[in-house]
Amino acid sequence: MTFQDLILKLSEFWASRGCAIQQPLDIEVGAGTMHPETFLRVLGPAHWNVAYVQPSRRPADGRFGENPNRLFKHHQFQVILKPAPDEVQQIYLDSLEACGIHPRQHDIRFEEDNWESPTLGAWGIGWQVMFDGLEITQFTYFQQAGGLELAPISAELTYGLERIAMVLQRVDSVYDLEWAPGVKYRDVRLRDEIEQSKYAFNSELVLPAGEFAAVHRRLFDEYYNLAGALLRKGLIWPALEHTLKCSHLFNLLDASNSIGVTERTAYILRVRQLAIGVAKAYAEGTASLAEAREAGEGGKAIA
Amino acid sequence: MERELLLEIGCEELPASWLPGLTNQIGEVVVAELKGYRLAPETPAETFSTPRRLSMRIARVPERQTDLEELISGPPVSAAFRADGTPTPAATGFAAKQGVEVAALERLQTAKGEYLAYRRRQRGKASVDVLPQVLGGTLRALTFPKLMHWDAMIEDGRGEFLFGRPIRWILYLYGGRVVPFTISRTPAAQSGLVQDVTTGAVTYGHRFLATSGRAGHAIKVRSFEDYRNRLLENFVILERGERHDKIASQLDAKAQRLQGRVSRVVHSDSGLLHEVPDLIEYPSVVAGTFGPEFLELPDEVLTTTLVHHQHYFPVESEDGKLKNAFLAVINTEPDNERTIARNAERVVTARLRDARFFWEADRKASLESRIERLGTLVFHKKLGTYKEKAERIERLAGWIAKEAFGASAETAAHAARAARLSKADLTTDMVREFTELQGVMGGIYAREERLPEEVWKAIYFHYLPIGVEADAPPTRADLGKAAMTWAAVSLADKLDTIVGLFSVGERPTGSRDPFGVRRGAHGVFKTLVDLSALTGGQIRPSLGALVDAAAQEHQDRDWSGYAVPLLQFMMERLRFVLEQRGFDQRNVRAVTHQTTFKAVVPADALRKLDVLPEFTESLEFRQLAVAFKRVKNIAKELPLERFDTLEATDRGAVFSAPAERALADEIEKRRPVIASAGSSGQGYREAFREASRFKPVVDKFFDDVLVMDPDLVARERRLRLLRRLEALILQLADISEIVPEDVKSG
Repeated sequence: MTFQDLILKLSEFWASRGCAIQQPLDIEVGAGTMHPETFLRVLGPAHWNVAYVQPSRRPADGRFGENPNRLFKHHQFQVILKPAPDEVQQIYLDSLEACGIHPRQHDIRFEEDNWESPTLGAWGIGWQVMFDGLEITQFTYFQQAGGLELAPISAELTYGLERIAMVLQRVDSVYDLEWAPGVKYRDVRLRDEIEQSKYAFNSELVLPAGEFAAVHRRLFDEYYNLAGALLRKGLIWPALEHTLKCSHLFNLLDASNSIGVTERTAYILRVRQLAIGVAKAYAEGTASLAEAREAGEGGKAIA
Repeated sequence: MERELLLEIGCEELPASWLPGLTNQIGEVVVAELKGYRLAPETPAETFSTPRRLSMRIARVPERQTDLEELISGPPVSAAFRADGTPTPAATGFAAKQGVEVAALERLQTAKGEYLAYRRRQRGKASVDVLPQVLGGTLRALTFPKLMHWDAMIEDGRGEFLFGRPIRWILYLYGGRVVPFTISRTPAAQSGLVQDVTTGAVTYGHRFLATSGRAGHAIKVRSFEDYRNRLLENFVILERGERHDKIASQLDAKAQRLQGRVSRVVHSDSGLLHEVPDLIEYPSVVAGTFGPEFLELPDEVLTTTLVHHQHYFPVESEDGKLKNAFLAVINTEPDNERTIARNAERVVTARLRDARFFWEADRKASLESRIERLGTLVFHKKLGTYKEKAERIERLAGWIAKEAFGASAETAAHAARAARLSKADLTTDMVREFTELQGVMGGIYAREERLPEEVWKAIYFHYLPIGVEADAPPTRADLGKAAMTWAAVSLADKLDTIVGLFSVGERPTGSRDPFGVRRGAHGVFKTLVDLSALTGGQIRPSLGALVDAAAQEHQDRDWSGYAVPLLQFMMERLRFVLEQRGFDQRNVRAVTHQTTFKAVVPADALRKLDVLPEFTESLEFRQLAVAFKRVKNIAKELPLERFDTLEATDRGAVFSAPAERALADEIEKRRPVIASAGSSGQGYREAFREASRFKPVVDKFFDDVLVMDPDLVARERRLRLLRRLEALILQLADISEIVPEDVKSG
């Protein structure tokens, strides 16, 4: 099964289970959780089922294409089921079978692993799904997002696509994966990996070290201010996107060792504060929407 | 089985570390609930758990609640009847409230007089009618380290129902019949795929294995015997002990096939074999190998990768050398174990390849060269970076070795060096990836740099001991030549953290101790009380000397601002460590009565406690304790400063009365043995024996003289004697602490 087949199979499976198949967020993010289809949709009362691929950038994991298992950018297949169905674990296992993994032949386990994102003010209870000793999926029951308590509870499934494909194709290096018939992962991604790593660690001294950090700090501040302005005008989607820009810039500053520990905490707090503002504005919006709808149905306006 | 109660709460996978606690809890909670509902079980609860179930069985639960009988008291008889014997409104009102005639009331004799009372009897209900509430109460009463929302509710007026993991089924049988109960779901979650959980007569077997049909189908159950057997048929071993034994024997068999044995590291310290039975329902073991080239990595790195990251068991040869093989406990019975082993090997190899990359890269920079980098790592915002911490403990460890331990200048220099380098590994890639190897990795890199044993081992072990139970101090054999330097670095690091944090107002509270100051203090005292045994020397520094030296490094903050709470905190921790060793609480209080840092010598506290029980049982000593309490109480009348002045200026005091002279002589006679124990730390047994002989002369003193004599000169003279006696005995212990409670109050 090629890398693209895996994506197609998972998409087909989850579409058949009632998920809308969405597209990746078209800006740089570290994980599928940051996509508004997760971060915003898990808030408020509306039920929602969605699945999508999210290319995820982790500058600190860049290895210049030299490490067979670590990537500046990897791909997550993200599923949100809201509310979490009772049979969610079994449905997940069925999805593995749909990809050609037969649980009977392997050692598949749900091992405790709670998830937390300080920058998003989010956390959940869950497991890492272990496949013969390899973590292939993070499985989380969201408890809080943007600092808000959630009801109903969503289940989030995050498949590590490269890892699953490597198991299925029995290769030891991610670059040996077959992406499409006759096309290797190497052909698609290697150059990207090398150049992104060089950029993230400023190893070619694109800019002098101090300058490199200064530029990214400046960009952070600009996006931070813009996100705040957007939020004040109630433009939640754009505000979230600029918050995520900040998050990515922070990751770059962190990876290139441009910030100390105290400053690091301050940056995380600033992003978190934006994320919480976005979540709050969104939740208030959905609440007043629901109220208006109810009022409309009841045929009586609420003053 | 007609009266058997069987409960299984079927959950999504519970964390392994919770299972031992929950297994106890479910029995205790159900029994408490049954008792609360007047259904006290006739046989004990048997409890079980696997990752997907918490189970409990009681062979005999009564069929009916015991009848309830209670006496409700009403108005006093004196107010209940008029002179002519007719009831007053108070009596008729009370009777009406109970729904009976006044004639049906009883009279109740109490200390306050005679009262009217009504005896209410209520017949017990059939168990089946009460058992639903027992389950409701049980579900609410179980506690978890972390709770989760899962859109569930119980209709008991308490609303949302949080639990450790979502509940998927409940098997609840009494006498073979289902006891009805429902966990409902919140309106917000209601949909076709989110359903109420109702009790039933079914369980579920292994997720993936089944003898017939598709795995995971419902299995009908009638009784506990049936339950256990059907589970086993469906690949679930209910008894944890059986899972454990099956794992242990398969591990041994597989290791033998590899011409080795399961590494002793796992048996001794990681608790892996203790953990895996709670991760699986049906264990088997597969063997895997990795490239022999990875054996160049330090053993610590190999075992951390295998044990901590993968839960795999390392294999070693008979001579204790690690082999390039491991054993994995899996939760299935595979058709082809090579498939699983190959995948496991792939994961291990990838991790080891990363580790080898770090190993190569880290050794390109010396620990000394990393100190600058520590300047970018903040230890605490008010206490500066790790570089500053390293420099503080460099001075402190050197001082401790030389001044507090009396070690040679060379040893002190080694201790200082080790302390300076002890945090450098925080900047290595290996420790960033394998944080649990902090300290250990620094030690290994120091060894690679050919630093002397006194230095590298002190770094290697300096985080130890942390906590009270786990992570005991290293043994003397482990430490070799590094016993002194290790103790100096370990103490310096922890004392700097404790004193530093107190100085900036970061004190631990009952529920909050983010910097682990309590654990640090336990580590300090575990080291100090055992210092002689650990180092082989006679080393017994006072807490005062150590804390003063640590506070020197935090001089910019006012010592008087935190000295009192710090002393109080440290004494509590010392008491805790001593009590953990099984010493009697009262004895521990007796030897930790000191009110200044300087007076506290932890090593001596232990020695005193070792001999104190030999005395506390004797009547004579107990009576002395009572007398000493009296001595202390009266001696307070003479302020300590005045006493000190008198002792310093008026050497040749004349004690005229015979009882006074007798006590004064007795004190002088017994002083040498007691004082020498206090100053040398030796001979506490003799000292306590000496002290226990004070009793007759003290008694006689109190019988013959009036301490609080109207003559103020006589009074001061007598008080002074009592102060002398008190000071002498306090060199040993505040023995008034051992006075039994009943005597104290008398």
